[in-house]
Amino acid sequence: MNEPKPFAINLGSLKTRPKDSSSQAVARTDQAGEAHGFVSREATPKRGGRKPTPRTKQIHAWVEPEIAQEIAQAADRTGKTQGELIAEAWRMFSRR
Amino acid sequence: MPVIVIASPKGGSGKSTTAVILGTELAFAGARVTLLDCDPNHSVTLWASRGVLPARMSVESDVTEGEVIRTIKRHDIDGAVVIVDLEGVASRLVSRAISQADLVLIPMRATTLDATIGARALQLVGEEEEALGRSIPCAVVFTMTRAIKSKQHSGIQASLSEQGLDVIEPPLMERAAFSALFEFGGDLRSIPAQGVMAGAVENAAAFAQQVYKRLIG
Repeated sequence: MNEPKPFAINLGSLKTRPKDSSSQAVARTDQAGEAHGFVSREATPKRGGRKPTPRTKQIHAWVEPEIAQEIAQAADRTGKTQGELIAEAWRMFSRR
Repeated sequence: MPVIVIASPKGGSGKSTTAVILGTELAFAGARVTLLDCDPNHSVTLWASRGVLPARMSVESDVTEGEVIRTIKRHDIDGAVVIVDLEGVASRLVSRAISQADLVLIPMRATTLDATIGARALQLVGEEEEALGRSIPCAVVFTMTRAIKSKQHSGIQASLSEQGLDVIEPPLMERAAFSALFEFGGDLRSIPAQGVMAGAVENAAAFAQQVYKRLIG
């Protein structure tokens, strides 16, 4: 390109300037943004599985079909409900 | 390295066109320019894919909310300019990018709707200045303007000036060459002639020069 430049840039004048990017500054920025409706628009992956039902607060966890069948058979065999069995299993797990 | 953030929650206000014109003109004038494409529409990336990138220019795409501050910091070197092209919505990505800006440019068409929605970005900049305890210079640039200024344009400009806001002169006019950048890539000196090219080049260079003055001022 041999065309004359309409203006020239002095590279020495383009200096880095310090800007706070600490987690506190980011938190303050997010807060200021939210006050004006600048909220997160990015999709976040669902975590934590199904939520408890709002009425009974029961958890209807999805388990693999074979495991569901084994829990059902164990409930029949022991005369307990599936929920009781799962609660027992949870207690054992959480005591580990 | 000055960081220029181009923000407006209004879609279609001319953010990406402003980013590409500014980037290519600053690069032509000798600066190293990095364009960060934070817009899910990928307009800047599309521009970059259409032709050969002008000398001294690079583009980084798909910059997300969680990465934007880190990405800006990564390109934070002396002698270069980072231009951040944002999405046309009110989002956390916008507010985080503004927090790292040395200059916020708010493009708006000379319409009441653009001015009203663009004002939200101005309010956000003010709020962030307070939250971060530093001044964040901000300027409005009118885009897609006509040779004869409409009454609405004059009214909005007068209102902004009365409020002490910086309005860049010249505005970016509605020109076939500006929209053709997204068809051919490259810069105004490399694309096939579209309308009066000398006028488009003059307009773009004068606008970029005014932005440069604000960066070093």
